[in-house]
Amino acid sequence: MSALFAFIRFELVRLLRSWKFLAITIGFPVVFYMLFLGEHTAGAVVDGTVTWRVYLMVSMCTFGVVVAALNAGGSRLAGERSTGWARQLRVTPMPAWSYVVTKVTASMLVVLPVLVLVEVVGYTFGGVRLGIGEWFALTALMWVTALPFAVLGVFVGFMVHAETAYPVVTALMFILGYFGGLFNPVSQMPHALQSAAQALPSFHHASLALGFLSGQTLGAAHWLVLIGYTVVLGLALMWKHRVEESRGLA
Amino acid sequence: MPTAQLAVSDHAVAAGAPAHDAEAALRFKGVVRRYGKHLALDHLDFSVARGETLALLGPNGAGKSTTMSLLLGLLRPNEGTVEVLGTTPHNAVAQGRVGAMLQTGSGSGLPPGVKVSEALALVRRLYRRPADFDTTVERAGIGALLCRQTNRLSGGEAQRVRFALAIAGDPELVFLDEPTVAMDVDGRRTFWKMMRQFGAEGRTIVFATHHLEEADQIADRVVVINHGQVVADGPGATLKAAVAARHLRFVVPEPDPARYDRLEGVTDVEVRGTGVTLVSLDADATLRDLVRSNLAFSDLEVTGACLEDAFVALTACGRKLPPEVDA
Repeated sequence: MSALFAFIRFELVRLLRSWKFLAITIGFPVVFYMLFLGEHTAGAVVDGTVTWRVYLMVSMCTFGVVVAALNAGGSRLAGERSTGWARQLRVTPMPAWSYVVTKVTASMLVVLPVLVLVEVVGYTFGGVRLGIGEWFALTALMWVTALPFAVLGVFVGFMVHAETAYPVVTALMFILGYFGGLFNPVSQMPHALQSAAQALPSFHHASLALGFLSGQTLGAAHWLVLIGYTVVLGLALMWKHRVEESRGLA
Repeated sequence: MPTAQLAVSDHAVAAGAPAHDAEAALRFKGVVRRYGKHLALDHLDFSVARGETLALLGPNGAGKSTTMSLLLGLLRPNEGTVEVLGTTPHNAVAQGRVGAMLQTGSGSGLPPGVKVSEALALVRRLYRRPADFDTTVERAGIGALLCRQTNRLSGGEAQRVRFALAIAGDPELVFLDEPTVAMDVDGRRTFWKMMRQFGAEGRTIVFATHHLEEADQIADRVVVINHGQVVADGPGATLKAAVAARHLRFVVPEPDPARYDRLEGVTDVEVRGTGVTLVSLDADATLRDLVRSNLAFSDLEVTGACLEDAFVALTACGRKLPPEVDA
């Protein structure tokens, strides 16, 4: 067990030391939040329930999760698989599954400060006011539901080559962001795109949190989609890892 | 004990198996490995005694890396069995009794974004009974590199760090796949000195190389692999003599291949038009015989054979020797 913790810690240190990773992961959601906030009347109501400042804060929390998870897994993982480091770990006593578990765990752990940071920006610059309990519940909810994105990031890292990882990760970031209704509410999108959003986990991740804040529903449908994504991506990841292992590559 | 013999195996017939089988550090029995239709290992048989330093010698694509991957449990054989330290390769690795330095192609094989000391500290943590940190640093000669970032190392420095990672768990058995590939002459010398000291402590070392000199100087025993089969198995010196093959090229208006084959020392004959190439293990004797036989020739040229030819010569030489040359 201590070996696993040592490896997770090692991965976290590597992530938090990478300026590129920090700049992208912190920069995107925070800068976008400030930009979008300037374009709208922060206090005006979107979709009949929440204000722009809250909608944008939650959306950028989700976007932060997407960016952090895809960059922590995706391109970094593909890169270190190509250098032979992943293979070197395979010839240590560490079981093969630890590598995958560590990667997903490290992604989940870097997602948390990103959420808190966007919330702090929402409070200070966006003027979002919630009760202390609400802040904690919101953070916990968005963190737990970040799991499918963490799994997705690691899966992408296993699927793509180091050279193609960057464009793939960038494309996924913007597909999940734009079509998931994180830059503009889904209700303001053309009809065809509205149904497309329903298929994306990013839409459900943000909608679940917004639903919680407006006290509407339990969001069973959102939960279902997010759990579904986690299960399907988790199985796909296990399959891919198996294949790589049998070829002596994982 | 591997004695001074050059045992040459003919296809699937195993030859020169060490006498003390129970003490074998590893054993390959009839191992077949395919990649799609390509047959990488064709009924490979060999074993290595504990404490022995063995070189796996062969040209590129001979099956050396596949052999390494099978020994580490990274690949499974399609047929046959691989045994490492009395158990499966996977178990031996999981028990932390094995260390390895694999080929990494263009990559460094090290994690980017950390210092050398941090990478070594992590790998030590993955073993239950690792070697002392300072001892490992000293053994691999990486004291001056500890504070460097892993992505700021030269090829040779990275190889030394990867050697440190391979021995960090204090393994009984170490596999090194072309360990000196990115090193200059000095680097090689230093590396093999460290390796010898490490091996002198009773550990078993298996390394792959395509440098005959390296195999000859470092290993107690050399197993030559070509086309996925064991071509020869014996001490380096015997092997080196056997591969002292030369090429004799000359021109004849009407060559008669059958007659050249009978010349002394000749192991292979190639005729192309009026050009004849003889591969010989004793060029002087072949030349004398050629003159004595009154065979016509012109434009004679004698050159050293390349390693690839040496392997062919070895295989051919096996056919001319009795199948078992036991002492």
